[in-house]
Formats: sequence, structure tokens, C-alpha cells
Amino acid sequence: MLPERLQSICELEDDVTVLEEGVDKPTVVVPCEHVASLMAALKHDASFAFLLLLDHTVTDRVDDGHFELVYQLYSPVHNHHLMVMTTIPRDEPVIQTLSHIWAVAEFQEREIYDMFGVVYRNHPDLRRLFLEDDWVGFPLRKDYEDDFMLERPK
Amino acid sequence: MGIATDHLPGVVEQLPGGSVLVTSFDSVINWARANSLWPLAFGTSCCAIEMLMATGGPRHDLARFGAEVARPSPRQADLLILAGTIVKRMAPRLRLLYEQMAEPRYVIATGACTISGGPFIYNSYSTVRGADEVIPVDVYVPGCPPRPESFFHGLLTLQKLIKTESIRQPGVRHKPVLSELPDGIKVEDIQKEIVALLEGEATVDVNKAAQAKPWPKGT
Amino acid sequence: MNSTPILSIDELVENASAPDASETQEYFINMGPQHPATHGVLRLLLKLDGERVRKIVPVLGYIHRGIEKIAENQSYRQMVHLTDRMDYLSAIINNWGVSMAVEKAAGIELNPRIETIRTIFGELERLRSHQLWWGVMGMDLGAFTPFLYCFRDRELLNDIMEKTIGARLTMNYIQPGGLMHDVHEDFVDDVKGFLKGFKSTIDEYDQLLSGNVIFQERVRNVGIMDGATALDYGATGPVLRGSGVAYDLRKVEPYGVYDQVDFDVPVGTTGDSWDRYWIRIEEMRQSVRIIEQLIDNIPDGKHMVVKMAQKIKIPQGRYYSQVETARGVLGTWLVSESEKKEGAYRVHFRSPCFNNLWTLIPMVEGDLIGSLVACMASIDLVIPDIDR
Repeated sequence: MLPERLQSICELEDDVTVLEEGVDKPTVVVPCEHVASLMAALKHDASFAFLLLLDHTVTDRVDDGHFELVYQLYSPVHNHHLMVMTTIPRDEPVIQTLSHIWAVAEFQEREIYDMFGVVYRNHPDLRRLFLEDDWVGFPLRKDYEDDFMLERPK
Repeated sequence: MGIATDHLPGVVEQLPGGSVLVTSFDSVINWARANSLWPLAFGTSCCAIEMLMATGGPRHDLARFGAEVARPSPRQADLLILAGTIVKRMAPRLRLLYEQMAEPRYVIATGACTISGGPFIYNSYSTVRGADEVIPVDVYVPGCPPRPESFFHGLLTLQKLIKTESIRQPGVRHKPVLSELPDGIKVEDIQKEIVALLEGEATVDVNKAAQAKPWPKGT
Repeated sequence: MNSTPILSIDELVENASAPDASETQEYFINMGPQHPATHGVLRLLLKLDGERVRKIVPVLGYIHRGIEKIAENQSYRQMVHLTDRMDYLSAIINNWGVSMAVEKAAGIELNPRIETIRTIFGELERLRSHQLWWGVMGMDLGAFTPFLYCFRDRELLNDIMEKTIGARLTMNYIQPGGLMHDVHEDFVDDVKGFLKGFKSTIDEYDQLLSGNVIFQERVRNVGIMDGATALDYGATGPVLRGSGVAYDLRKVEPYGVYDQVDFDVPVGTTGDSWDRYWIRIEEMRQSVRIIEQLIDNIPDGKHMVVKMAQKIKIPQGRYYSQVETARGVLGTWLVSESEKKEGAYRVHFRSPCFNNLWTLIPMVEGDLIGSLVACMASIDLVIPDIDR
């Protein structure tokens, strides 16, 4: 994807910026309240046509006190790849769901809820995916502790 | 089998020459049991391909040992082949499957994950460290995954175990065993070979380095 | 008092076939986690109306081992062996995926020999995976013979791999910075000998199963899914290509030496189970074509550009790279916190099966339960790849 197209993504929604350092794909950063509207525009705008949500995952930046959410988008029409990043506070991890835009987002978000405890507003079926319903804690958080888990001996 | 195995020993053994009869019964029943094990195919991950599919395939052919009738239902099986990692969520289901199997029932645990948790022991919040935390295991077959040949060795080990059973003591379990090594090979030989291999490829000569080090005397 | 009117037989039949009279009670049934057709421990909660599937709820986690957490606590080299055990049927391509992610991040340049050998092994693994899938698909649909055929030929491939790698299933061969060992001296001859026989074997597979009337009835026009729906549900690999979207990473974002070889990407038209079946058969032919072009032209060079004893560290940042496995796109997401630490801060695998699984919902809902098995076989699921 060309740099000038990245600039035109920034015009789709308020406060969207291009991130150039520390990433290896074309990336834009967006405030969490604008994620859903930006994504809808990216999918339905024919000049972008990001029809495939490849991946959605989270990095727990425990020292900075926030979660870093990442979406990998791909357009089979134009053959370009885009990474969309946003941050949400760790003590109030709430964000709008994307399951009305891509069907697969429903399940990717359920996995994230299971592992990190990120709550997706308006999600149709927000339950644990891999772990039992009565599991306590979110295991992929950096501060997760468990009596069962063994540390690797050094 | 109910009458022969449950009531016969008590009655027959009191007769003159009765213990000979019981021993003959033993050998016949054990012969039948050992050579017609019906496995329950319980494959959770990678080992399933090698243990349940490759062994059933034309080259290795599990049918040679009379154990090819793999059942998907526990009620029709008497040998539980555990092939793959057991996680916390699966553990209660595994217990349930085991309890549904017909007596006498045997368990072969194949692969590192099933024996101990394998590569998923450390830093995992969900891997159970060995199937024997959930159900009793008769024979362990090590490997990741074991070769079909070593699975057969485990199966033959189990058959040997079964042949030592007696109807005098129904339901008595054996101590679990590690699938033993073939004749003429010792654990020490394998260790020696691995050490030689590692030293041959290492950039540091382990022995020389150890000797060169000035060890304090008297320790 | 009203007497009930006496109905003629014709009227009775008509009443009986009225929509409300034939309505049955809906019920739930569990398929799995211990079920022969789910190829592992997938559990599907089915809401049925007679034999019609009204709703599918996949219940996961019966083999969730927490690979991402384990990988966060290991170095970049150690984490490669975990990927073998995710999608164990394309273990080598998974190794390749994570090694490539580390190499790109660390800026390691590979020589042409490594790239060529990786590509050959990747294609051999794709062959092996599709071949096993073919046998198992036959078995799922009630034909046992394909299983015997596929294992007959799989063992030949296993022998070739074993000579070089020493393992039959979990390879751990491709490492960040090269290959574990150089190829065996017989490798080239073995592969050539295998390919010679295998070309006619694919035709044999075709004759055995593809033309079978029962098989055709079970898969043709079953589980139809259009391209837009497949994209919406995040499908990749043969599932997406079956629905007519030609998205193959080997073509659109070439890695290895795929840009130097000539091959086609087969694409389906109707998006039914038959198309997905046919695409995999065609992909086997294309894999043979790719290996034939490369096997005589392996360049000379070292098999490792980074010594095994050397620690690999990557600069601070976020890295995402992808490979095309036999089932679809495997993405590796690496986050490095500092240049000094020999391990990632966060590792995430975008696994193809996790995303392909959900296409079952649009495919099967409203169809018969027998079609569910056919569709599941045509998606080619590996459960540890879903759960990780």
C-alpha cells in the first residue's frame, strides 16, 4: 500500500495517525472510540475494500497500564495489507465490537475476552471460548498468577 | 465369562486337582484377552496420527497383533490408547470415558505429553502433567511422538502383562511399566550413544574441558 | 354442539402435510469431544429439527495448551518446536512461518540453498498433508479403501523426510537462520523416484474416489458458500479458494523461491464441498510441478547462516509475517520489548483452522446432519491448531 493512501485513511475519521516506527507493515493508530466507524469505512469504501479481517489480537503493556489492540486487515481486491492499532486502559478494558462488520470478529473477540478480559460492547455472545466458564482470571495477562502453573527452572 | 471368572475359582480350587484346572483356565482366558484387545481411539493431538492412523495403515498393520478393531465408543472397548496432551478441560471427560469402559480395561499412554505433559509442562496454565493424574495407566510408551514400532513394543508389553494375570485375583492391577527395551539393548548403551553424539557435534570438548578445569582436591 | 366434520382421505393427507402438523420438536445433540468424524476433540453442539441442523455452536478448548503463554517464556529458537505441535500435519510449514517471522525481524539474510530446500520441504509437506486429508475424507464419507492407499504413499514420503530430518511427524527442521541439518546425500534421488511414481498415484486417487457416484452425491452442491461469505468468516487457504477467491500467499506475497517457479492456483466456481475437494487434488499436482522444477537446481551453500550456539535477538517493535500452510494463512505476531532479551514479549499465532472453522456455520445451517460430516471433512480441520 502506498504512503499517500495511508494519508487518505487518516481523513476517514478524526484523530487517525500514521505510525511509522516499530512496525513492519503499514499501520494507522486510532482512538478506541473511533475504531468501529473507521473499520466500517475501510471495509465498505470501494477504494480500500478490506474484506478480510485476518487477525485480531492484544498485547498487554502492563507497565504502561494499557492494552494494545491490533487488527490485521487484508484486501483481496487491491492486494494490500493494513494494521490498525488502538489502546484501551487496563483498568477499564471496554471497546466497541466489530462483529457486525466481519462475522469472524465475533469469535476472535471471544478469544481475546477469554485470554485478556477485554469487554466488547454490543457483542452478541460474549462467553469464554477455550477455558471453562468458571475459570478465574485471564491467563495471557502479564500479571496472571496461578497455583498450578510451573516456572521454568533457570 | 462372569461364571468362569467370578465363581469358578472358589468352587473348583477346593476339589482335588482343582488348581491345575484354574491355571489352565487362566492361560486360556489370558491368551484370548491378550490377543483380542479392542482399542478405544482416544487421540487428542499429534500422537493420534502415528498411534492410531499410521499403525492401522498398510505398512505397520496393527491387525497383526489382534488389536485393529478400533472403537469410537468406550462401551465396546477394553484398551484405552491415550494419544496426545490432556488439558484441564478434557480431564473430566477422560475419566468419564475410562469409567464407561468394560472390565477388565487397560490403558497405554503414548507420547511425552500423555506421560508427563511433555513440552507443555512449564508456564502452561491448562496442561495436565500426565494422564496418570486422572486415570491409572498400565504401560507408558515414550517418544514425541513414538514410532509405530515402539507403540507395538508397548502393546506386546501389555500382552505379556495380561498373560501373568489370574482369575484367582480378579480386578488386581499391575504396577505401571515403561514399555521395555528390545533384547540386547540397555538404557546405558543409549545414554552412551547420545553423549557420544552430542560431544561429537559440540564445539566444546566436554571431557577435555572438564579435565582442564582445576578441581579442588579432596572433594 | 358442533360435531367434528368427517374428512375424506385426501383431506386427511392434506392436513397431515400442513406445516404446523409436520413440525417436530427441536432438540440438542452433542457431537464430540470424543467423536471419530471430528478428527480430534472438537465438540459441536447441534440444534436439530429431525435430521436438519438448525444451529451449530462449536465448543472449543479441549486441547487448549496455552502455547502463546509458553512461547512468551522461551527464546526464539525454543519456540519453534511448539509450532510443530499446533498444526502437526503441516509441521514444516509452521516451522517456516515462525522462523521467517524471526528472520525478518532480526534482519537475517538467507542464502539461496536454504530458501530452495525450505521450499521443496514445504511442498513435500503440503503433498503429505493433502494426501492424508484425501484418505480421511474418504473414511469420513464411508469409504475405507482411500485410507489404506493414502497411508501406503505417506510412508514413502515419511521415509524421505526421516532420512534427512530423523522424525516422522513433528519435524522441527527449519530453524531461525537456516536448517537443522543439511539434506541427506540420497535426498535428490529419493524425491525424484517418489515423484515419478506419485504422478500416476494422483490419477489413481482420482479414479478411486472422485468419480464414485455415492461420493459425488455426498459432496456436490453440499455446503455451498460464496466468496463474500467466506471472506466475512475469515476463511483462507483451499476453503477460500474453493469459493472463488484466488488468495494464495505463494502468489500474492511470494516468500522462499516461489517467485522463481511456475505454478497455478486452482480456484473453485460454486464453492461447494466438491470444489474444495478438487482444489486440493489439483494442489497436489501443482506441488509436484514445483518440486520438479526445483529438485535439480538446488544451489550450493551452507545450511545455516546463524550458528546454533549464537543467540538471536530482535530489535524493539511489532512484527507480523505470514505463510501459506496446507490449510490457509498462518500469521505470526511477535512483539519485542527490548533488544537485550532473547525472547518475545508477546507471541500470537493466527492459525488457519481457527478462522476456517466458523465457515461451518453458513455452510451447514439448514442442511442435513450427513452434510455436516462432508463439510467438516472438506474444510480439513486440525483441532490443536484451533485451540493452540
